[in-house]
Amino acid sequence: MTVLSLFSLPFVALILSLWSSSAFASSDYHEHLLLHPLPQSSLLASFNFRSNTSQQSFDQQHFRYLPRALGQILQHAHTKELHLRFTTGIWDAESWGSRPWNGSKEGGTGVELWAWIDAPDDEAAFAKWVTLTQSLSGLFCASLNFVDSTRTTRPVVSFEPAGDHSAADQLHLLHGTLPGEVVCTENLTPFLKLLPCKGKAGISSLFDGHKLFDAAWQSMSVDIQPVCSANGECVVQIEQTVDMVLDIDRSKRSRYLANPIPRPVPNEQLVCDTSKPYNSDDTCYPLEKTNDKAWSLTEIFGRSLNGVCPLTELDGSSDQSVCLRVPHERGVFISEEAEEIKKDDGFTRCFKLAPSVPFDLSIPQQPVNTEVPLDEPVLHAERTIVGHGQERGGMRIIFGNPSNTSAVDFIYFESLPWFLRPYIHTLHATITGHDGVPREVPASEIVKETYYRPAIDRERGTQLELALFVPAASTVTLTYDFEKAILRYTEYPPDANRGFNVAPAVIRILDTAHDAPIYIRSTSLLLQLPTPDFSMPYNVIILTSTVIALAFGTIFNILVRRIVTLDEAAALGAQTLKGRLLGKFVAIRDRLRGKDTKVE
Amino acid sequence: MSVDRRKIAVFGAAFMLRLLLTCLFPSLPDLLTGRVEVSTPVNSFKRLQEGLFLYTRNVSPYDGGVFHQAPLLLPLFALLPDAKSWPLPTAIFYFLVDLLNAYALVTISASGQSVKSRLHSAVRKHVRWDGVSVAAWFLFNPLTIATCLARATSVFTTSGILFAVSNAVGGNSINAMLALGFASYLSLYPALLFIPLVLVCYDRRSEGPNPPNVGSFIARHAALLLASVAGLLGLSCLITGNFWEFVSATYGFHLLVPDLTPNVGLWWYFFIEMFDSFREFFLGVFWLHLASYVGGLTTRFRRQPLFIITALLGVFAIFKPYPSISDASLFFALLPLYRHLFPLMRYTFFAGSAILYSSLLGPAFYHLWIYAGSGNANFFYAITLVWSLGLSILLADTVFAALRDEWEQEHPERVGTEVRQV
Repeated sequence: MTVLSLFSLPFVALILSLWSSSAFASSDYHEHLLLHPLPQSSLLASFNFRSNTSQQSFDQQHFRYLPRALGQILQHAHTKELHLRFTTGIWDAESWGSRPWNGSKEGGTGVELWAWIDAPDDEAAFAKWVTLTQSLSGLFCASLNFVDSTRTTRPVVSFEPAGDHSAADQLHLLHGTLPGEVVCTENLTPFLKLLPCKGKAGISSLFDGHKLFDAAWQSMSVDIQPVCSANGECVVQIEQTVDMVLDIDRSKRSRYLANPIPRPVPNEQLVCDTSKPYNSDDTCYPLEKTNDKAWSLTEIFGRSLNGVCPLTELDGSSDQSVCLRVPHERGVFISEEAEEIKKDDGFTRCFKLAPSVPFDLSIPQQPVNTEVPLDEPVLHAERTIVGHGQERGGMRIIFGNPSNTSAVDFIYFESLPWFLRPYIHTLHATITGHDGVPREVPASEIVKETYYRPAIDRERGTQLELALFVPAASTVTLTYDFEKAILRYTEYPPDANRGFNVAPAVIRILDTAHDAPIYIRSTSLLLQLPTPDFSMPYNVIILTSTVIALAFGTIFNILVRRIVTLDEAAALGAQTLKGRLLGKFVAIRDRLRGKDTKVE
Repeated sequence: MSVDRRKIAVFGAAFMLRLLLTCLFPSLPDLLTGRVEVSTPVNSFKRLQEGLFLYTRNVSPYDGGVFHQAPLLLPLFALLPDAKSWPLPTAIFYFLVDLLNAYALVTISASGQSVKSRLHSAVRKHVRWDGVSVAAWFLFNPLTIATCLARATSVFTTSGILFAVSNAVGGNSINAMLALGFASYLSLYPALLFIPLVLVCYDRRSEGPNPPNVGSFIARHAALLLASVAGLLGLSCLITGNFWEFVSATYGFHLLVPDLTPNVGLWWYFFIEMFDSFREFFLGVFWLHLASYVGGLTTRFRRQPLFIITALLGVFAIFKPYPSISDASLFFALLPLYRHLFPLMRYTFFAGSAILYSSLLGPAFYHLWIYAGSGNANFFYAITLVWSLGLSILLADTVFAALRDEWEQEHPERVGTEVRQV
């Protein structure tokens, strides 16, 4: 037996290695970095890491590029498709144009998670969802375990599975957000650990938590989905992206210099718009910072790019792992070993990096005539809370369609916490057309479909999905009233007067021109709730109980006692126990006095 | 004839006053609807409209945290035109309900049951107001007007109670039970009035020939009440389709008090500040406390069952989970029936001042807390304490005066002497 097994071991290993080499044939890894200077001296750095593994080896827990920790969580929670987002900051669509990846790789402020879970029914799906959030919470050092039933929704039309799923799966979509979560380095470290090169080589070596979370806007995403080719071969694909918009001036300012505190620009260095009528010695309208700032990778990221991740698949296009979008007329200096390839579009150039040699890229200051064209966003959306006071308020959502020719159809999805009670019957729509005159219209004229699931106190939040459209060159304003609930004092966070975060709304644009949907997320909101006095639960219990005891005592005292006249009361007083005791006491006192006098 | 003219004048003036207020200040109804003193989670007109909106769009209004009112209100209000675009029909409907309530009060007063019933006859019978004065006292009470303009649905409960009482004093015990069933169906707590009400009916019946057996009389009427409530619940079930869903959203909501929106009562702040592990215990204590008055008052005032109802309405106005000023206005509506007790009351000035003080300062302190931010929750809480204290002093004083009146009836030679209780 022992001999046999000893003999058979190398054979099994050989078989295994043969089998696994064939199984891993479809597993590969790609990484890509796009640098795109944006107006107002900003720089968009868009990192993308993609790897996949065959469905078969995934099911048998053969993990190579796909991180084992994540893979096992997905298998345990029966999750077929997962999307996780960590986002901070605001994307300034007015200056920066449309979002990277059409918004499909970003989340609302804080943490956003949605997944398709295979389960026989809703309860089982929710149980798996809880397992998933708890596990991811540990893996990513995020408070995902706080995604409870009140923060979980089941969107109906806002999300579609991106992967190719087998028809046998009973998929349940669950969506959760943590708008108050502060995304920081503790989330970046586990994120980097999921990468095959773990931030040691390749473009991921640029990540520095200090720079990344200093960005004006940044979004980290993890997407896992099954992808099937036409011949029915399926792979499990994991795609991780990091997008950030860095302020070039701010990033170049070293934290270790003698002057780390930001100070106003001295007067003589200000570039003023002299065309303004009020421009004078003491008033200045600063001119928009031009696009031709000088910068280099090391200045911006604080470190240089550490060669190429050796695991990257080298197949022609993907070896150009760093691309830059500036006009071709602009001079770019790169490290000697790297090779520059200019693309035909006139704006993009990519770089072929040499393995294990640090790479740096620097752009000198240079006046340029051509600008890289920015895509105009298809829709502008803005959501604010209106009204004052802590009792009630209103939500106002403004959708602007910049196109002069076509209307925009989209799905508006928001999940509200239960302590914000919307009155959906107060939903009103206003259209501002070409003429700029607001015109009130019935909401049904704009809203084609509504899916509304009201909140239940302490059980679930409100889910509102509207299918609506904005006519060409118009602005639609939706408003509705809401009431703010007052909570039990233990339900308030320690900083109760700061307010409560309301998750951003998700807008899914159904644009036929793009095959993939465009997503826009509004900013998160801060909701002020009325607060009780946290310092006096005992006082309140005592005071209320006193009033109740007073009323109860008085009324029952009156009810149980007998009414007598004053003379009777005096006479009765002598007969009661108290009266008799008093009489005895007086008698004893008299006797004692008598005794005392006798002794003396 | 002259009495009739007075009645028409009072009713007409009350109607015109409401109409005038609505027309002159079109924003007043919505303002009052938003006031926490008037609108509570269980009677708010805005919540009713939200429920109605969902109901007319075939979404269950009870599958949510906003609507907690009885289902029969939904088809009723679905018949009325939309209150947003056509506010007047709804407003006039509410005015008419108020006038009907006043009419029921006139009937109660005209029966004279408050001064002279089967077992009791007040000493100062001549000191009384007639029905029209009582109705005027009700109709021109600012609390009533505010409730009416705010379109709070508690006016229907008020109607149910007042019609139950007016039918009972009129000797129509079956209608009384049906009306009480309606009121209990709407807001649950009027069911506690069953015993005193059935005693009123019994006393009226016993005045005639061959008085019935007490036990079987009560049992028959209890069955009637249950049947009427069951009928209404059955109808509601037909409307909503899901019995347990609406029962837990309405009566469960009344009983468990999950919504702690501020109101004039004592429960909300207490349960905000209560430690979680004691919440259920104190809920039980508060409900038991509320129910305990029924037994005490019924035992002591067996001879004046109508007074038990009045006193209990006072108790409800103070100790209900979601009281509003409409409950206080109902208590104040029945008090003038006991005009003959006023000379016997001892602390009217104190109670009156406390009530006035709190009704003036309440809105101001609420504003300081919620809008100005210069005060905190304790400001409004303190005012609700004073309001409850004022009402309970008034209630205790009325109870004392009623007892003294009974005592004077027993001892006619001692009328007007100084008394004390031992």
